Amino acid sequence: MNAEVKAAVAPEKKEFWRWQENTWFDESRNWRDGSIVTCGIDVGSVSSQAVLVVDGELYGYNSMRTGNNSPDSAKNALQGIMDKIGMKLEDIDYVVGTGYGRVNVPFAHKAITEIACHARGANYMGGNQVRTILDMGGQDCKAIHCDDKGKVTNFLMNDKCAAGTGRGMEVISDLMQIPIAELGPRSFEVDEEPEAVSSVCVVFAKSEALALLKAGYTKNKVIAAYCQAMAERVVSLLERIGVEEGFFITGGIAKNPGVVRRIEKLLGIKALDTKIDSQIAGALGAALFGHTLMQKQGAKKAA
Amino acid sequence: MSDGLFDQFKHWYEKRHEYAREWKLRTGGQVVATMCTYTPEELLIAAGMLPVRVLGAHEPQNVTEPHIFGMFCPFCRDSLAQGLLGRFDYADGVTLTQSCIQYRQAFNSWRMHVPTVQWDYYLPMPNEVQSSHARAAHYAEVQSFRSFLETLTGNKLSDEKLHEAIAVVDENRRLLRELFEYRKETDPKVTGVEALYASLTAQFVDKREHNEALKKVLAALPKRKLNRPEGIRFMTIGSENDDVAFMSMVESVGSTIVIDDQCSGTRYFWNESKKDADPIKAIADRYCDRPACPTKDYPSHTRFDHVLGLAKEFNARAAIFLQQKFCDPHEGDYPDLKRHLEENGIPTLFLEFDITNPIGPFRIRVEAFLETLTEDELF
Repeated sequence: MNAEVKAAVAPEKKEFWRWQENTWFDESRNWRDGSIVTCGIDVGSVSSQAVLVVDGELYGYNSMRTGNNSPDSAKNALQGIMDKIGMKLEDIDYVVGTGYGRVNVPFAHKAITEIACHARGANYMGGNQVRTILDMGGQDCKAIHCDDKGKVTNFLMNDKCAAGTGRGMEVISDLMQIPIAELGPRSFEVDEEPEAVSSVCVVFAKSEALALLKAGYTKNKVIAAYCQAMAERVVSLLERIGVEEGFFITGGIAKNPGVVRRIEKLLGIKALDTKIDSQIAGALGAALFGHTLMQKQGAKKAA
Repeated sequence: MSDGLFDQFKHWYEKRHEYAREWKLRTGGQVVATMCTYTPEELLIAAGMLPVRVLGAHEPQNVTEPHIFGMFCPFCRDSLAQGLLGRFDYADGVTLTQSCIQYRQAFNSWRMHVPTVQWDYYLPMPNEVQSSHARAAHYAEVQSFRSFLETLTGNKLSDEKLHEAIAVVDENRRLLRELFEYRKETDPKVTGVEALYASLTAQFVDKREHNEALKKVLAALPKRKLNRPEGIRFMTIGSENDDVAFMSMVESVGSTIVIDDQCSGTRYFWNESKKDADPIKAIADRYCDRPACPTKDYPSHTRFDHVLGLAKEFNARAAIFLQQKFCDPHEGDYPDLKRHLEENGIPTLFLEFDITNPIGPFRIRVEAFLETLTEDELF
């Protein structure tokens, strides 16, 4: 008898945390008609973005997950958008690197911190009335004040801990087995608003969420409790620096209404709207800085 | 490229335990672990001893939790850890002059749990040095310390020996100030890291040797040219700081640290003693008069104008607070001191320090702070 032993096949693991990588460009324009093409590349701890600015206006971008090394993440992010529009590296006049991997962007002319870049990007996205920016990134979160030009006047960052950041939301998404983009809307589908989970620590929140499920909370209610906790944490950061009117949120979590609405409620201020992907703020700011630098000093072609 | 002018100090800093062991072998004298820079080192030096300030090692450790709380400042925990780990096994004695209560408890653990220490002495210096009774009280305490050392060694600590020791220590203070004077210049001839090496090593190297090394450096400085951009001129403010990695990072991203108000720097050596026929009075008064630590700065806050004065005198463009996490005395001063500096045109950055520090995230903050001060060409 030929007993056929089938190799055990692991069930396909769904990755609920996986957010949408995306590429966009302005089909109404042709970059070849522009005179200055600049690029900003934001290599963050979780996501990387390449943004192209033509003559000081957003032209296109690519946003993807950061790989295991910064130079490749920078290259891949840029390649993704260049391929779509038939651009080559030598067509770009000036490249600015930003984010954690800013000094490892191989073809960058200059590195500028993500704090300055987010402020500049927010100034473009939300207009020159933006004064307070909350950047909710993958592994950190920053509160920034800026002037009407988008120049940073003050800032604060969270310390040494990923609590209240994008990575925390990814963990909850996986734990609840709900796609990350659905977390925000589902957090409002509750019979009553729960108390915030007491810990936003990425590690402890996981066990607390499980305990709540056991205690009879619906998934939606657990998500609501987590969104509330995240909102409370970032609001305490914001309150240390003070919130001025003209409030704008950048970073991946700006796409999560479950957190954004709760922040607004706690602050009593509505965040300014934008049609542009909030995740590209840093790279957009970098590209805009590149444009200004190019106008002021000129630069060699990137190579 | 470094010209190696400060290599001796760097070497002492990196090999401080080896230095102390070698000193002990060479001289046969006692080594005394000192906690807090209010320790009247003059007496120890007059008694033929080597005062060695306890500093941390900036390594993760798991030995202090049974003895002091995790919410004591990192300097307390790191200092105690060094004792418990046997890094000061050459120290014959340990002494603390009162400053903050947490460090006193670190000292108490030291004397209870570091078996190699043969003797200990707690010098209860008044914290309210502004009180009209403070000088008399401190005089009596320093006198008691003198008696203690005489009994311990069996030798009289004569006025003559004390005057000699005062002269050596004052010379060290004077030379360090001369060195720091060079930092006032545009494109200073001394970097913040180099100055830190010099002022820190003064706290554990034999002062006579240290003075000779300082003289060599001072003789070479007039012709020295550092080929590095000055960038933004920073001041650092805080308690103890020997985080060379942090200082180097700050000076590598477009700045020069030109002055400090820290007990690892200027607060340690800024003032000399005033001439007095009575050496104990000269010593006791000197410590009451020195630039104050926040624990000894009330009811009036003399620090605020002193710090601002230093910033102006050394032409610092901005200041960085190196706040040891959970250091209550400095945290208490911070809001008012920050306001005082900012109202007088010195922007500030606040960084919270632990035993080990995340250089990467700190770098982002420092660079972003620099951008707020410089990057006008971006707009």
